Amino acid sequence: MLLHLNPASGVPIYLQIENQVKHYVAAGALKPGDALPSVRKVAADMRINPNTVARAYQNLERDGVLRSVPGGGTYVAENPGGLLKSEKIRRLRPYARQIAVEGTQLRLEPHEIVNLVEQELQSLEVMDERVGNPNR
Amino acid sequence: MNELAIQTDRLVKTYCELRAVDELSINVPRGSVYGFLGRNGAGKTSTMRMLLGLARPTAGGATVLGFPIGRDTLAILHRTAYVTEGKILYGRLTARELVRFTKGFYPNWSDEAVAKYARRFDIPMDRPFAKLSLGNRTKVCLLLALAQQAELLILDEPTSGLDPVAVDEFQRVVAEDLAGDGRTVLISSHQLADVERIADWVGLIDYGRLLLEARLDDIKSQYRLITAAGTGLPQSKGGDILSANSDGNFRKYLLRANADAFAAELGNQGATITEVSPLGLREIFLELVRKEEPCTSGNAGEIPVTSFSSLE
Repeated sequence: MLLHLNPASGVPIYLQIENQVKHYVAAGALKPGDALPSVRKVAADMRINPNTVARAYQNLERDGVLRSVPGGGTYVAENPGGLLKSEKIRRLRPYARQIAVEGTQLRLEPHEIVNLVEQELQSLEVMDERVGNPNR
Repeated sequence: MNELAIQTDRLVKTYCELRAVDELSINVPRGSVYGFLGRNGAGKTSTMRMLLGLARPTAGGATVLGFPIGRDTLAILHRTAYVTEGKILYGRLTARELVRFTKGFYPNWSDEAVAKYARRFDIPMDRPFAKLSLGNRTKVCLLLALAQQAELLILDEPTSGLDPVAVDEFQRVVAEDLAGDGRTVLISSHQLADVERIADWVGLIDYGRLLLEARLDDIKSQYRLITAAGTGLPQSKGGDILSANSDGNFRKYLLRANADAFAAELGNQGATITEVSPLGLREIFLELVRKEEPCTSGNAGEIPVTSFSSLE
């Protein structure tokens, strides 16, 4: 698993890990059932504190992205879509608001902002095809 | 068993007039990597020396691995590996001889660890210590500390003189072999970027006093720098506002919590919020230490860059 971490940024490292794992899962680079490297291995490879990695894994598990088998490692959850739609929307809304605010401040037209989001969705699909996700 | 590996209770150390450590109370959780940060002369080394029984507190007390300092010094020294600030060992001895000399003092000494770290850090084992570069001396000190297999490691500037490859290797050792095994590590350093990577807790001291102690991730999720423009903005600090500085028409606030609520309040007062941004450890460090300086003029708080050159 390839992580790019910037410890000097103001974003906590555990959040950087969470965001990147979510991105890989959304893009299909990590597929349901795929094993994730152990906390210890990620910590050693990235030279970061194991407690930080453990925190990210726990949060991802809570969010239904990962599941852990007692004594047997951590895997991408089979059905990450198990959340209620209303809950999914609740979680996404802050990001949508941020895009709306930033876009408006930059004086972009509403359709230009929507276009940007669509482009990002398309680039996820392209990545998905490249890694050959059989689930889609 | 005590959840804290190190706990100090209003620890004081004075040297003549100077209060090097001033009622310092820190809590280092077991299994944590604790970054002990501060400017030169902030009191880090004095604190570490008192924890190990190498200096006597003027007042206050502390426990290390549950043992009171000053009473159970031997019990503490048996369980604690220490890398000193000075990195001075017997100059005529080679690393190999220093290993042979040191190992007898430590019940859990591991010769496998010696072999492993000598290889990983690329340590010249057969040259007299006095003839080694500062970086290689630091490596030998680290080797002797790591081979003790101690529960607690107290490392005073453990990366001084190390090249980037050796620093990277050191961080891997801390992440994998120390934190990964549940050992506790207290690291003092000026290299904020290194600490930021590897520490999960930080304690920041200045003039012997504690300015901040918290989980690093929590600091980063809560501390925010708010930039606002408008007239009649509040000027004072206090509460969650750690600093308030003017910059032309803008005013900058450092908040330690509830930044969004404060920004909303400013907005209600007619201010334009231009930015609410998270901060890295270096920015937080500078903001907090700068707080201690007298604020007199409009751009009070501007710091002369030279006085922080050791942080670069």
